[in-house]
Amino acid sequence: MSEQQRAGASGDVNLVGLSKSFGSNTVVQPTDLTIPAGSFFAVLGASGCGKTTTLRMIAGLEEPTTGQVLIGGQDVTGLPPYKRPVNTVFQNYALFPHLSVAENVAFGLRRKGRKDVDGPVKEMLELVELGHLGGRKPAQLSGGQQQRVAVARALINHPQVLLLDEPLGALDLKLRRQMQLELKRIQTEVGITFVHVTHDQEEAMTMADTIAVMNGGVVEQLGSPADLYESPRTKFVANFLGQSNLLDTRITGTSGGYLLMDVHGTRMALPVDRTAAQGDQVVMGIRPEKIAIQHASAADSNGNRNRIDGGVIVDSSFIGVSTQYTVRMPWAQEITVFEQNMERDHRLVPGAPVVLHWNPDHGFGLAPEPATASAAVKA
Amino acid sequence: MNALAPTGGGGGGGTDDLKEPPKRGRWVPYALLAPGMIWLVVFFLIPMLVQGGTSLQTGGLEKGYEFTWHFSTYWDALQTYYPQFLRSFGYAAAATVMCLVIGYPLAYAIAFKAGKWRGLWLVLVIAPFFTSFLVRTLAWKTILADNGIVVDVLNTLHFTDVTALLGLTEGDRVLATPLAVICGLTYNFLPFMVLPLYASLERIDPRLHEAANDLYADPKTTFRKVTFPLSLPGVVSGTLLTFIPASGDYVNAAWLGSPDTGMAGNVIQTQFLRVLDYPTAAALSFILMLLIVLMVSAYIRKAGTEELV
Amino acid sequence: MTATLTPQTGGSHAGGSHRRATPPAAHQLSAPARALRWLRRNVVTLFGILALAYMTLPNLVVLLFSFNDPNGKFNYTWNGFTLDAWKDPFGVAGIKDSLITSLEIAFLSTLFATVLGTAVAFALGRYRFRGRGLTNTLLFVPMSMPEVVMGASLGTLFLNMRISFGFWTILIAHVMFCLSFVVVAVKARVLGMDPKLEEAAQDLYASPTQTFLRVTLPIAAPGIGAGALLAFSLSFDDFVITNFNSGDTVTFPMFVWGAAQRGTPPQINVIGSAMFFIAIAVVIVGQVRTNRRKQKAS
Repeated sequence: MSEQQRAGASGDVNLVGLSKSFGSNTVVQPTDLTIPAGSFFAVLGASGCGKTTTLRMIAGLEEPTTGQVLIGGQDVTGLPPYKRPVNTVFQNYALFPHLSVAENVAFGLRRKGRKDVDGPVKEMLELVELGHLGGRKPAQLSGGQQQRVAVARALINHPQVLLLDEPLGALDLKLRRQMQLELKRIQTEVGITFVHVTHDQEEAMTMADTIAVMNGGVVEQLGSPADLYESPRTKFVANFLGQSNLLDTRITGTSGGYLLMDVHGTRMALPVDRTAAQGDQVVMGIRPEKIAIQHASAADSNGNRNRIDGGVIVDSSFIGVSTQYTVRMPWAQEITVFEQNMERDHRLVPGAPVVLHWNPDHGFGLAPEPATASAAVKA
Repeated sequence: MNALAPTGGGGGGGTDDLKEPPKRGRWVPYALLAPGMIWLVVFFLIPMLVQGGTSLQTGGLEKGYEFTWHFSTYWDALQTYYPQFLRSFGYAAAATVMCLVIGYPLAYAIAFKAGKWRGLWLVLVIAPFFTSFLVRTLAWKTILADNGIVVDVLNTLHFTDVTALLGLTEGDRVLATPLAVICGLTYNFLPFMVLPLYASLERIDPRLHEAANDLYADPKTTFRKVTFPLSLPGVVSGTLLTFIPASGDYVNAAWLGSPDTGMAGNVIQTQFLRVLDYPTAAALSFILMLLIVLMVSAYIRKAGTEELV
Repeated sequence: MTATLTPQTGGSHAGGSHRRATPPAAHQLSAPARALRWLRRNVVTLFGILALAYMTLPNLVVLLFSFNDPNGKFNYTWNGFTLDAWKDPFGVAGIKDSLITSLEIAFLSTLFATVLGTAVAFALGRYRFRGRGLTNTLLFVPMSMPEVVMGASLGTLFLNMRISFGFWTILIAHVMFCLSFVVVAVKARVLGMDPKLEEAAQDLYASPTQTFLRVTLPIAAPGIGAGALLAFSLSFDDFVITNFNSGDTVTFPMFVWGAAQRGTPPQINVIGSAMFFIAIAVVIVGQVRTNRRKQKAS
């Protein structure tokens, strides 16, 4: 095999054709994935999408049905968890209830045969700001403190890769925000590869350098948070990360790097390089905050922006930083628009006729997927 | 470090239905089970079968026993000893009802009223256990003695007149009557009723009471519609844990009763240890077992809580 | 209700009692009516206390009569106070030997039943295997079988095998009926244990053996301890099954059974009471130790 050629820096994780089936139920489809050393990598998806199973296969807690796991170029597929250079922060932490915090943190070092564990344990507890609680039992700590112990217990072993399985899922919102920043700080400080599994898109976007969005056992798209948000390539990604308005179109031609299209009788444009679909059927997506809304009587010509006339506001809700409008199109589809609260036009109330327009460069093109089309429109 | 272990070692393909983390070696659970289960097969299951065989033998101590499909042992045993069986189940049923009547308020008080004293109450329920039950049962001979305080009070209240009418006592005596046996059985098996009841009551979220009160249920209705139904698993296992051992007991009948209050256990004991008529003893204990199994399975079906088994 | 709630000009008194959530009419009740109210509110607790009294009364009688100076062979009626029995608890022929035999059998059967039962509980709690239902049935049936039936059938087996009754047959019988109870106690603990803990240990470089010794066993320890205690008290207190399998060997319950025919010395009460106090002391010491540990940790 060519493992040696593929060997990268010591924290690289390579998944080669990795899949997992339970009986006839395939949870993870054969997947190839490279997680570069030192990166903060998030696997994002709804529950049951196979993200935790993927993580467990990297940890060695689940045996893959096919494929290989390589860590730092070494094939570890056949190694049991206790021989792999990875550590896990478990969902709900899995702290040993019968051991003190310090003994929990020292557990891995002791198993590796180290005797002088007091110094490193103290240092590690300081890093997670729990230096004074080493003598307590896990049950006597708050959720946030338990979370830090779980991180310390894993990090003290200097793994090549740290795996985090929904590590913040049990915390309340405020604490979660705080821990997100803290985990990011720790990762920058220690420089270890973090693989973070979560269903919270905001969490993934805040923390990760790279996000893999999983759906139905398949990695649908891989990229930086901004990348995924600005240029989603599937309907699932377009709607799982933030909200999108999706419009059915028919291609009529091209002009200067733009696709020209017909949207229910209106001519619109979309950059060719922002289109993930071929053929004459393309679904155009546009984020709600990229759309400008104007009262029909105040609308000017708008130059060469994409523009829809004849919309009617059916609902508006004031959210503070913005106002969210639901606008019914002449063809009955409802489109969501977020408008910054700078100069509010008081005529924009339910029932008001409006014009929507946006910069063509902000749109993105997707292939039509008949099966999920109806679900996508609603957002 | 490379190629430390062969790829795909251990479970190999792994396409079988694994729901739990794979455990190496399929023989491990059987190795763990084997010693204990062999013990139970050899010293519990096989004795049952041997006993079944013995009950169909004929012969005597001197001449030895012979297997003769002698079913009439069962018939004779039932004909001779049916009063003892009737008493066994009658006394056990009465004791079970008494245990429920006494045990439910106690378990309820521990679960909902004892507050910080809960631990002490529980200790007081379990602590009497630590004195040998034979010694404690002997104490009832003193408590229920003729002309003792308890019997005097019961006589003054004319309680014994009522129980005499019901055939539970004779004259002014309590000792050596069915009432004494039932009292002893109730006392001996009460913890077996209280503990499962407490376990199921304690699991009830007190907020359910508040919710019921909020939804216009007065305390009585709350108990009838919320608390009691939720404690049913405890009631079922408590009654089983009381009824089964009570129906096989013979110490209470021997010490607190008279020759007229003998139960099935007394007959089996006498046949086995004194008369040395092993086929009859075997047949009697088979009948007892069979009747209990029939009653318990009918009860469980009616109570509809098979999960506790 | 509304009538009493309407403000009475000088009613600061009534207002105060409202705030204390006392029903408006309470202060108008007569003393007996109030007593009746209190009784009704606390009837369950009172009934519970009565039930507890019923359960502890025999123990008090046992203790009281350990100080009796019986007139004749039987210790059933009060005759006079003496400390004789407490000064010489083993002053009756055979009572000391029976106690030692009981302790030996209880210790050994606890040991065997705990080891065998813990293994079975781990198999049931940690593995999936064929024959699980059958195993559970075989464990459940002995717990739901009257002791006479088990005692008589095991006795019949030993008779048929021409094995002579004695210490070892009692031990075999005790291990048999203690086993299921140990399994129940340990299994509850094993099932309540988060399987992620074992995964975490493996993730932290503990081999399967180390995982078992460092994580699984310590966490299951309270269940194993509870099972062992249960086995010890069941074995020590067993009479019915022992009666069918003891031959000439006399355990303490067998001694009491015999004494009930021949004459009951107060020494029986002394030992019964002493067992009670020892057990209570063990419970209290254990409680104090866990409390202290909790305090030290926090």
